[in-house]
Amino acid sequence: MRDALFEAPGPKTKRKILVGTIISSIAIAAILVWVVLRLYQMGQFDASYWYFFGQWSTWRFLLQGLAGTAEVAVTAGVIALALGILFMFGRISKNRVVSGIFRVIINFFRGIPSLLLIYFFFLVIPSYGIKMPAFWMLTLPISLTASGVLAEVFRAGVNAVPKGQREAALSLGMTEGKVLRKIILPQAIRYVIPSLISQLVVVVKDTSVAYVVSFPDLLQNARVLISNYDSLVSVYFVVAIIYILINYAINELAVRMARQSGTKVVTRAQENPV
Amino acid sequence: MSLQQLFSTYGGMYVKAYAATLEMTVVSFVGAMVLALLVTIARVCPISPLRRLGDFYVQVFRNVATISLLIIFYYAFPYLGIVWNEMTCVIVTTILVAASFGSENFMSGINTIGVGQIEAARSLGLSFGQILRQVVIPQALRSAVLPMTNLLVAVMLTTAIGSQVPLNPQELTGLVSYINTMSVGGILPFAVSALLYAGTAFLIGLAGNAIDKRVRILR
Repeated sequence: MRDALFEAPGPKTKRKILVGTIISSIAIAAILVWVVLRLYQMGQFDASYWYFFGQWSTWRFLLQGLAGTAEVAVTAGVIALALGILFMFGRISKNRVVSGIFRVIINFFRGIPSLLLIYFFFLVIPSYGIKMPAFWMLTLPISLTASGVLAEVFRAGVNAVPKGQREAALSLGMTEGKVLRKIILPQAIRYVIPSLISQLVVVVKDTSVAYVVSFPDLLQNARVLISNYDSLVSVYFVVAIIYILINYAINELAVRMARQSGTKVVTRAQENPV
Repeated sequence: MSLQQLFSTYGGMYVKAYAATLEMTVVSFVGAMVLALLVTIARVCPISPLRRLGDFYVQVFRNVATISLLIIFYYAFPYLGIVWNEMTCVIVTTILVAASFGSENFMSGINTIGVGQIEAARSLGLSFGQILRQVVIPQALRSAVLPMTNLLVAVMLTTAIGSQVPLNPQELTGLVSYINTMSVGGILPFAVSALLYAGTAFLIGLAGNAIDKRVRILR
């Protein structure tokens, strides 16, 4: 679509575009040079800030952190899936009281930051005498906030199944429950698989506040590295790139699956990117 | 702690914290919209380095973990001689992240415009800038109302990262952890903050739906 916004350029426009290309290239290059120069002036290219990235132990430690991140993200993702489906069932219930209650639950979890919920599990729940390992103090709040969004994603999937199918199944004598289980859900889930995958990005991002509950995830291990080698800028820089690459990969997977199945990724704008 | 005790001790702080959350939300959202529009224009313009820069921007900032970005601005930038105060760090982080999502919303808004319209505009002799200003942007804005409402809520929730830097005055999330370290607060301080967040999100949603109903283009 974005290529349709202008004509195939004539000679005049070609010249203009060329000038624009040169100017913008120079501007981008200038910014890059300025950044590198700044880093250089501040001594950030000093070998003492970078040599440990040549050591296997550094990467092993970061990979351990990454394993922690993955552990939380996958567990939270699975719980959020289950809860999301449950909430969606409640939301589409014919019983008005039930659907009203679940509407409130879904909007509540969609409307609060996961950090707030993490503080709740970290500070409030222990004060009532319930002891919980750091892993769950992180995983449960992340799954709860994600489940609110997932419930809406599932609902979009259910709504995308043509109404005629439900009516046909009912007139064949299937019960409401059976229609939902055998006709609607299998298709709805197929529709929303790409959106579910791209929601995983949100979960991965949410895990990065693990240091609040001192769970050893990627960022928390990076902080340990920083205090060991006294090199804040280089470590945070590398960690940010790792996050970008992982989430980019997840995103690409979602887009590819969407293309294969001919569905659309439900917009990621609904996520709360803490 | 009873509700009365909570409000008599911390009531003023809640008002300030809610104001701080709202202020950061509004400033960040406005900044993000402006930046998103600029990035989107770069992504659709015929100059290929700008296009690639725009795409690159979106990939980087929608995939970076927001907290790691905030930490870089707050803890790493001083090493590069750039010192921003806490609120600036939070707002800049939120703007950068939200703008990448905003640009995606604009792009899908643009994608809903029929190619025929653009071709018609071109055959009328409109220039690229005219097509953008008079055909594309008005329609893209209209169909982006609902996603942008969601983005506004997301921006509000993102400002909770302010609890990770010593913000003064604190915002709603930071205040909860502060109250819990000062006294055994129990569930109440948390519930007040949560209701303020969720209530605001609900109101934003209502407003967004109302606006969308008025401006939506029926196709």
